[in-house]
Amino acid sequence: MRLLSRLSTVLLAGATAVSMFAGAASAGEFDGYTLKVKLIGGAQYEPLYTRIPEWEAATGAKVEIVSSKNHFELDKEIKQDIASGSINWCVGSNHTSFAPQYGDLYIDLSVVLADDVIGAISPNVIKASMVDGRLVQLARHSDVSNLYYIKSLYEDEANKADFKAEYGYDLTPPDTWAQVKDQAIFFADPPNFYGTQYVGKDEGISGRFYEMLVAEGGSFFGNDGKVAFNSPEGVRALEWFVDLYEAKAVPAGVPNYLWDETGLGFASGTVALNLDWGGWATFFNSADSKIQGDVGLIRAPKGSSGKRTGWSGSHSFSITEACDNKQAAASFISFLTDFDSQLLEARTGLLPTRPDAIAAVIEESKAAGNDWLVHVFEVFGASMAEDAFAVPSTPLWIPISNELFPQLQAAIVGEKTPQQALDDAAAAANQLIEDEG
Amino acid sequence: MSVLTNLKRKMFSEQATPYMLLLPAVIMILIVVLVPLLFSLWTSFTPYKLTRPDTIWKFVGLRNYQRIFSDWDFWVAFGRTVFFLAVVINLEFMLGLGIALLINKITWGQRTMRTIMMFPMMFSPILVGFQFKFIFNDNVGILNNALQGLGITEQAIPWLVDGWLAMGAIAFAEIWMSTSIFAILLLAGLFAMPKDPLEAAQVDGCNAWQTFRHITLPFLMPFAYIAMTIRSLDVARAYDVVDTMTGGGPAARTELLWTLIARTGYDSANMGMANAMAYVSILLSIAFTYYFFSKLVAARRYMGGAQ
Repeated sequence: MRLLSRLSTVLLAGATAVSMFAGAASAGEFDGYTLKVKLIGGAQYEPLYTRIPEWEAATGAKVEIVSSKNHFELDKEIKQDIASGSINWCVGSNHTSFAPQYGDLYIDLSVVLADDVIGAISPNVIKASMVDGRLVQLARHSDVSNLYYIKSLYEDEANKADFKAEYGYDLTPPDTWAQVKDQAIFFADPPNFYGTQYVGKDEGISGRFYEMLVAEGGSFFGNDGKVAFNSPEGVRALEWFVDLYEAKAVPAGVPNYLWDETGLGFASGTVALNLDWGGWATFFNSADSKIQGDVGLIRAPKGSSGKRTGWSGSHSFSITEACDNKQAAASFISFLTDFDSQLLEARTGLLPTRPDAIAAVIEESKAAGNDWLVHVFEVFGASMAEDAFAVPSTPLWIPISNELFPQLQAAIVGEKTPQQALDDAAAAANQLIEDEG
Repeated sequence: MSVLTNLKRKMFSEQATPYMLLLPAVIMILIVVLVPLLFSLWTSFTPYKLTRPDTIWKFVGLRNYQRIFSDWDFWVAFGRTVFFLAVVINLEFMLGLGIALLINKITWGQRTMRTIMMFPMMFSPILVGFQFKFIFNDNVGILNNALQGLGITEQAIPWLVDGWLAMGAIAFAEIWMSTSIFAILLLAGLFAMPKDPLEAAQVDGCNAWQTFRHITLPFLMPFAYIAMTIRSLDVARAYDVVDTMTGGGPAARTELLWTLIARTGYDSANMGMANAMAYVSILLSIAFTYYFFSKLVAARRYMGGAQ
């Protein structure tokens, strides 16, 4: 009880401090100034931007969105801006996986942001937002994946009996990736129904492989600075993807899938188990989904090392070194990550980076009787606190991923053995490391 | 003084006038075309990374080119691009010719048909890519659902995973989008065709095939080669449709030169290497353009036109 009371005091104090800071941008403080921003676009990101007029009214500044694209396109555009030296904008959307590439494009936010703004964000998110000891981004929400499943499959008595007879243990939502494989193969009935699926291209499959590698007890880089993913742990991690593909327990098209395909595939009711982020939670249980009311969610399973997968990243905002009004930019990103902003995003299922916003959305969902959203935030909150880990903080993550993913695909579609594919990827990755000097 | 006077006199002489009038345009072309070309050529001899602009000054000689010449994946993508180009252009030509001949026969509603024929060209290649990506999706795509619904197959055909099927699906999207370029140009050729040789052939007793083979087709070939030159440059740079449908994958099975170059240059930010690849791939465009232009000249000579 005392703990609860202390917690609410801390939350209240945190919320008040942030509101005070947001209020600190007094009316007219940036009168007549136009803040140029490049923001990530897309249905899940744009509701937050409906708050921008509030900030404009409070500060007298105008916001000009000079670019709004998905993050991969935005990344290309930002790289071109760096190359051409045309950084004439102040605030850019960023992501923990992409941030290490941008060198000194962005400033250290700890210099321009109030301590309480930074202190309101989860410490592990702040840690993941650092590049070379500099806080280059302020996270708006995090993404970590957990396992959705169709509940009725696990309640079916015939399924339970058949599974027990075939695999020798009870059919319950899986706690390990080995169990996911068994159950996915058991449930699969292609082409009408699949056991599971995974994103199969670009950074998606590289990140999935990376988290499976960690869960198997392996590491991406060795002590000598070279890659170490072509280890026995790496081979085990890759075999999981290969085995499911060979068993036709996943759709044949998974090597071309990204998150839209996996999310829509699960919502179509043709997939039993789906590892995905919280952004889909509301959609899966909505009238637009064929599995409304039949969706379960558990923490991401464990690998053979006993560690759960937890590839995590955060969408964030950064301020450019070239910005001519860093105070206005700091006020803007503080506003877009404050308590109210994060609560607004959380209501759509996105995972806030502020513990007080997580606590508030859970309370709000309880009061509204929305048990599903309460469960979603409890699962994702626990996962973020205990399982989450970011990709290696190196500017080479994306270039290495571009060498790695075609090799992972080659193993999945049976062109190479897992060991051969990983050895080839390692050779190309080590060449990149050598070139980087 | 006399040198300056001489120069002035030469500049304003009657012979120099055309060159002086062309000079602004030449300077603009040099700025817009030549400078970027020289810049990208220089970067191909450096380890230039977009995110580290200072690397543009580090000269590494032919290192990028040496790596390309020993990179098997690059040459596979090169060969695949040549094959893709040859198949797509030939099919577009044949279909475009068929459409042009059919539309030429229409006596009522021809203008409407010509407009309708242009519709696929009006879509952005990215939209076309998404459209066909959905159609060919193995799980929720309409093609597999239709085939399964009609009882033609019980399998989920992996249209965008199997190497041949995926290249076929991409070729289908390209052909759907751009066949009308051939059709429009060939239709223009049919409209411009004099009637006398056709009437003379009829008088001489030629059948329809003979008339088409020996009169209509040779007359249309210059138009076809112009369309082929334009489309060969387009297809050799095919990117949007391929990137949207497969991204060059899986396992590089649909990798064409420009998906490889774009990923190297933008996603991996390795613009020095990407520019070196682009310079090697320009050879392909030059070869196809030279081939089609020589065929164009030969076709015009055959028809008794300008040399």
